Amino acid sequence: MEMKKNYLKKYKILFQNNMKNKIFIFLFTFFVLNSYSQNSGQINGDFSLNLQSYVEDEAINAQAADEVVLNNAFLNLLYSNNNLTIGLRYESYLNALLDYDSEFRGNGIPYRFATYTIDGLEITAGNFYEQFGSGLIFRSYEEKGLGIDNAMDGIRLKYKLGKGINLKSFIGKSRTYFTYAEGIFRGADIELDVNETFNIENQTKYILGGSFISRYEERTNPIFEIPQNVAAYSGRLNILSGGWNYFGEYAYKINDPINSLQESEMNYASGNAFTNSLTYSQRGFGVTAEIHRTDNMLLLSERDRTGKAYIMNYIPTLSKPHAYTLLAIYPCATQAMGELGIQLDVFYKIKKGTLLGGKYGTKLNFNFSRINGLEGGNSMLNDNVDFTPKLFDFSEELYYSDINLEINKKVNKQLSYNAVFANQTYNKDFLEGKTPGEYGTINSTIAVIDLSYKIKKGHTIRFETQALFAKQLESASQEEEGDWLMGLVEYTISPNWFFAFQDMYNYGNENKDKRLHYSNINIGYLKGSTRFEIGYGKKREGIFCVGGVCKLVPSSNGLNLSITSSF
Amino acid sequence: MKRIISLFLSILLFHSCEVIEGPYMSGDVNPIDTSNNYVKKVLIEDYTGHLCSFCPDAARELDVILDVYPNAVGLAIHGVNNFTRPYVVDSVFNSDEKYLYDFRTSWGKDLDDFFEVSANGLPKGTVNRIDYSSNGNHRKDFAQWSSLVADELEKEIKFGINIDITQTPLMLSDQFDIIINSEALSSLNGNYKVIVCIAENNITTWQKDGTIDDPNYKHKHVLRSFLTPTWGDNLAGPEINNGDVFSNAYTCIISDLENDNINYSTTLPLGVGNTGQWNTENLSIIAYIYDISSYEIIQVEEKSFISN
Repeated sequence: MEMKKNYLKKYKILFQNNMKNKIFIFLFTFFVLNSYSQNSGQINGDFSLNLQSYVEDEAINAQAADEVVLNNAFLNLLYSNNNLTIGLRYESYLNALLDYDSEFRGNGIPYRFATYTIDGLEITAGNFYEQFGSGLIFRSYEEKGLGIDNAMDGIRLKYKLGKGINLKSFIGKSRTYFTYAEGIFRGADIELDVNETFNIENQTKYILGGSFISRYEERTNPIFEIPQNVAAYSGRLNILSGGWNYFGEYAYKINDPINSLQESEMNYASGNAFTNSLTYSQRGFGVTAEIHRTDNMLLLSERDRTGKAYIMNYIPTLSKPHAYTLLAIYPCATQAMGELGIQLDVFYKIKKGTLLGGKYGTKLNFNFSRINGLEGGNSMLNDNVDFTPKLFDFSEELYYSDINLEINKKVNKQLSYNAVFANQTYNKDFLEGKTPGEYGTINSTIAVIDLSYKIKKGHTIRFETQALFAKQLESASQEEEGDWLMGLVEYTISPNWFFAFQDMYNYGNENKDKRLHYSNINIGYLKGSTRFEIGYGKKREGIFCVGGVCKLVPSSNGLNLSITSSF
Repeated sequence: MKRIISLFLSILLFHSCEVIEGPYMSGDVNPIDTSNNYVKKVLIEDYTGHLCSFCPDAARELDVILDVYPNAVGLAIHGVNNFTRPYVVDSVFNSDEKYLYDFRTSWGKDLDDFFEVSANGLPKGTVNRIDYSSNGNHRKDFAQWSSLVADELEKEIKFGINIDITQTPLMLSDQFDIIINSEALSSLNGNYKVIVCIAENNITTWQKDGTIDDPNYKHKHVLRSFLTPTWGDNLAGPEINNGDVFSNAYTCIISDLENDNINYSTTLPLGVGNTGQWNTENLSIIAYIYDISSYEIIQVEEKSFISN
């Protein structure tokens, strides 16, 4: 009987979900057709398809896919008419690419919403993305490159309370793959433009903000007390004056232990984080200094779960986001549980007509960042342990540092180049969850020359040469990959075609059998807002990060096809 | 409107958080009613690997759960993947002879491949294999286990399992007859299979444990062998009456099973057959019944070889 009941319950939920989607599609179609018949309203959309074949390649440890070909695709449709906007996204993972979590499987419409604005009140029902401040206590977003989509499903209200005062609040559950996490989130954020509210006519502008988040999750634990409602709040201040810009935010989270029965796993310590940045900019010059610290500041949509799909807050990264392949081979992953970091970024343009500036001027960008752990680790509190790390201690275990200089110069009408020189230190054992002493810390010196030459109107050829020289800073039980070389040649015929060939060569690997080439060839065709790209080659296993959030990308060998389009 | 919003915000701020003050440990577990001959039991399958540095956290959680809930049964499954591969014998790069033991079994591989656990990151496990779906809902983080165990133990008991391990004088010293008697405790509709496997407790060898390599780690509840096929032997169905009894009998010779694993190890990457030295005193039989339509385990029983 119990089994039958469970089946009925599951079937009922499935039926209800299907019904919800069908009702939404019906309403969507009704609105669109009705509006079109009256020649009002506007429809926009975009489409993306990413198809990849996987064949086995023992040399690079690439696995074949049982399905041979895997595919990720989505279509966004957005209809807007006066104060009403309706949208949906159809997603298809048949099956998901290997660098995606396998929980993305099948087809569905996991994202649909309707937004209506009336008398200054904006009402959204269904799915939405939201971020409070810099995201320290809450960020709901999608990043297809990382396979992250924690869209909320619920109700969101935005209201202009008065001159310069904006309020937003919501209640909802967050998406995890094709379902929703157990935690129910309630949140509110208020932002006050002081000058506008109090009619202050001053060159210095002050913006204040405050946010509050609470997660409810039913839990019982036979041994430990577990809070069912976990709250976090933050305050922020932005001051803008002439070329100066200061932004600071402080966040706090109350106790949020997991639901373990082991005392050593139970942590009742509160969490906190702050971020501060000061920027000065004027024509041809800019400087930014930043510092941030996090301690026990991970907020999950389900307290018992692990994995990036459940993370509901965001710690902005303090390292420069590198686009060149070898500069990004050892990326920095932000540690919400505990880190202290600083960054200095200086931009300067050497004027035209000077010795170093030449005819067009020369752009320089110097960047330095350093991130280390907290003294003794993150805060810990239970019946046996009560530990809080020092607020500032830069002598702790180094996680990551990067010092780099980028020079960008247009030599003449045909030739321009971008050169980057960097020295990075990467604590592989910590950042990749290895046992201390397994790989140790890797220091790498990287040089990149990116040369672009315009042959004739519409025809451009680009050469990219990169070299990475790596060494392990202490003796370790495992050998790291060693030195790399990379070359790329790309030919673009505007506005329709591009052809590219690149090769990465791990020539410095201590293991001669692993001195491998990772070659790729790509051809792209663009027509209007539609882009086709087909490629073939090998990808190296590695860590891929966007904004300090990272994922492991397995090695692969195969053909890939991508199509993107918008209307 | 502003007053309504202010009121709403006040409610939100003052009633949406619970700061817990110490002491944090509280409560006792309700004693299990054992007046009936059979009690509902639950199987936690802990997918693990000796190179998985976070897996001991899950193993320790399993230990506490087994202490708190005596009617929970644990089984540690080592699939075939990067977490379970042994190191090579190398006097230069592996002078400490770390991670030479091979815990991998063909059944562990079958289960891990089917339920796609290791491929999605360890440690993770299943609790009675509930919520099985191709989307991976059955894969549970270890902090979920205790709540799920409590929920499972509340469920209606459908079968009782009795394990009988016997040895007669004519048998080899490591030969045993295993008889599994399963009794339906209510009338049921469905198809069920029975699985019988062998686990070994307290194998002391290397394990990555957080930031250390521990040479004296005790590997518990380690899956050694299956006496049935991976997906079991037919038990009953589709119509079962209350009181129906089903018997499944098996004979096993421990050294033969050990040799099977040694041979299997040599077929795997980096496997050299270092998977022997089983200790019969630490072996137990785990028998469980599952519903073939949902893969959900509805009853499990464990019996040690030395409790004869």
